[in-house]
Amino acid sequence: MKKRKLRGIESLKSKYGYMFVSIWVIGFVLFFATPLIQSVIYSLSDVVIGGETSFAGIKHFKMLLTEDPDYTKNLSASLSSILYSLPLILVVSLVLALMLNQEFRGRLFFRAIYFLPVIIATGVVLKYISGYGSTTDKVSESVTDNMFQVTDIMNVLNLPAGIAEYVQTIISNIFSLLWQSGIQIVLFISGLQSIPSSLYEASRVEGASKWEDFWFITFPSLSRVTLLVAIFTMIDQFTSSTSPIIETAYSKMQTGIYDVSSAMLWFYFLIVIAVMGVFLILYNRMLMRRWG
Amino acid sequence: MLNQETVKSIGRKPAAKKGKAVLTAVLRWFILLSIGYIVVYPLFYMISSSLSSRESFLDPNCVWIPKSLTTYNFKFMWGVMDYGKAFLSTIKTEMVSALIEVASCAIAAYGFARFKFRGRGFLTACLFLTILIPSPMLIVPLMNNFSHLDVLGIFGLFNKLTGIDLRLNLLGTSWTFWLPSLFASGLKSGILIYIYIQFFKGLPYELEEAAWIDGATPLRTFVSIAVPSSSVVILTVTVFSVIWHWNDYFLATMYMEKDYPLAVTMNKINDLINYAGIYLTPDKPEGLAYLMCGCLMFIIPPLVFYLIVQHWFVESIDRVGITG
Repeated sequence: MKKRKLRGIESLKSKYGYMFVSIWVIGFVLFFATPLIQSVIYSLSDVVIGGETSFAGIKHFKMLLTEDPDYTKNLSASLSSILYSLPLILVVSLVLALMLNQEFRGRLFFRAIYFLPVIIATGVVLKYISGYGSTTDKVSESVTDNMFQVTDIMNVLNLPAGIAEYVQTIISNIFSLLWQSGIQIVLFISGLQSIPSSLYEASRVEGASKWEDFWFITFPSLSRVTLLVAIFTMIDQFTSSTSPIIETAYSKMQTGIYDVSSAMLWFYFLIVIAVMGVFLILYNRMLMRRWG
Repeated sequence: MLNQETVKSIGRKPAAKKGKAVLTAVLRWFILLSIGYIVVYPLFYMISSSLSSRESFLDPNCVWIPKSLTTYNFKFMWGVMDYGKAFLSTIKTEMVSALIEVASCAIAAYGFARFKFRGRGFLTACLFLTILIPSPMLIVPLMNNFSHLDVLGIFGLFNKLTGIDLRLNLLGTSWTFWLPSLFASGLKSGILIYIYIQFFKGLPYELEEAAWIDGATPLRTFVSIAVPSSSVVILTVTVFSVIWHWNDYFLATMYMEKDYPLAVTMNKINDLINYAGIYLTPDKPEGLAYLMCGCLMFIIPPLVFYLIVQHWFVESIDRVGITG
């Protein structure tokens, strides 16, 4: 008798669950799943505006990979930019989050400054201030020139060419890097807040240094947040409208070439999803080995 | 970690420790200020170059503080960008849609976070897919669908059978933004739902269960218990939603035919400045002042919004528990 009543509540609850979620399910079917399938169909057919679409197989993919001279170049540019930006964004945002998480005078002031990129950097303005547009190279140029004479420092330090070039790339992109780290800082701070303070108290009693605190408490506790930040950064970078692949696909779409642009994006995102999958597997395995 | 207050309450600190603390504080301020300088530099640069008159902008001796101020740049760019009209249309389409999204995503997330039902795992996986797939993939089919609005092909079938076309053309109207937002599938809704879910999962369940047992419907517990105790997360989501909508230009370029929001204007501002007869070339730097002024005018509204809410936002961000 009791069991039956319980089951009654459970089924009632699941009914209410469906009720709340249904609002999103309708949206998902209408504004996500349907267009997603349609875009697969587009990429596999010849689309004539105002006319009939006919099935074309993998013609467009073949064309992009073998004939289009720019596609593979754009593809590698879009994918490889993550290699230098992801580690940098992770380190920069973690260090800044650690600093902003401490108790000190002026903390709110600095937080307000460092959250500013969250507000502005997600937008079109970024492309003007970081000099993506060709006519506006001048802005970022004048900005970096004013700040410090990069080449002078490089000459003094006499670094090997490879490292010097890497540092040069970082410095000329320092704006976009810092300005892209806004949400990452926010995520890391909220991760830091969720670490129980009793852990630190215990390690203090045991006589651990701040450095050991970081490596044995903070860093392992942040492993999940770090994964989240890494995935967020990757999605942000791969889908940003400044990525060369997306830029060309956008401009193709605006001129009405839907089939080729869909194929462009689909091939790109299959690779992106594969990259993310490999990353997730590697990360999980690494975690397993290190922390059990 | 023992904070400053507890250390004080234990007793006086030894002199060496005090010196070290001062050194740490100075070092921290130095690092934060110098990186903060890089962060706010573009903002200062925009303000300075849009306020300086042409002579002082071109004067190499005057970098930060212009010798003579002018509001001419603003007046000029107001006309070039058709600012007033674009601003109103941003409010009408993007901002209304942002606020609708804040509400609808909360409802959907409450269902995900609070109730167990069959297929929840699958639906959560679908939710992650919506975060992963960017909107450009969907835009063309969506445009087609909006030009003949249809539910699962029913009206299309009706049209084929009877020849009466009931399908509405929504392209060019604000409904292209409002409708997906109403069903929690608007701009970056996936992330917003995810933030809500993480927060709702952390809310104590007992209160809602008590209300449940006293006979309140789940809708009632949602409205009168969950929502009032979620002001922190609602604020966070509102900030994100408003900012993302404000900055969206791609969807608006594709959906709208006229009455473009500001972000679209901003995206093609180079061309607009060129049409107005000023050419942005490296040997004519005065165009740069106009460009910077346009950027400044574009970010002023979100900046004001941020300044109003930043007190709560900055304080509350670590209580949202986005990271779960």
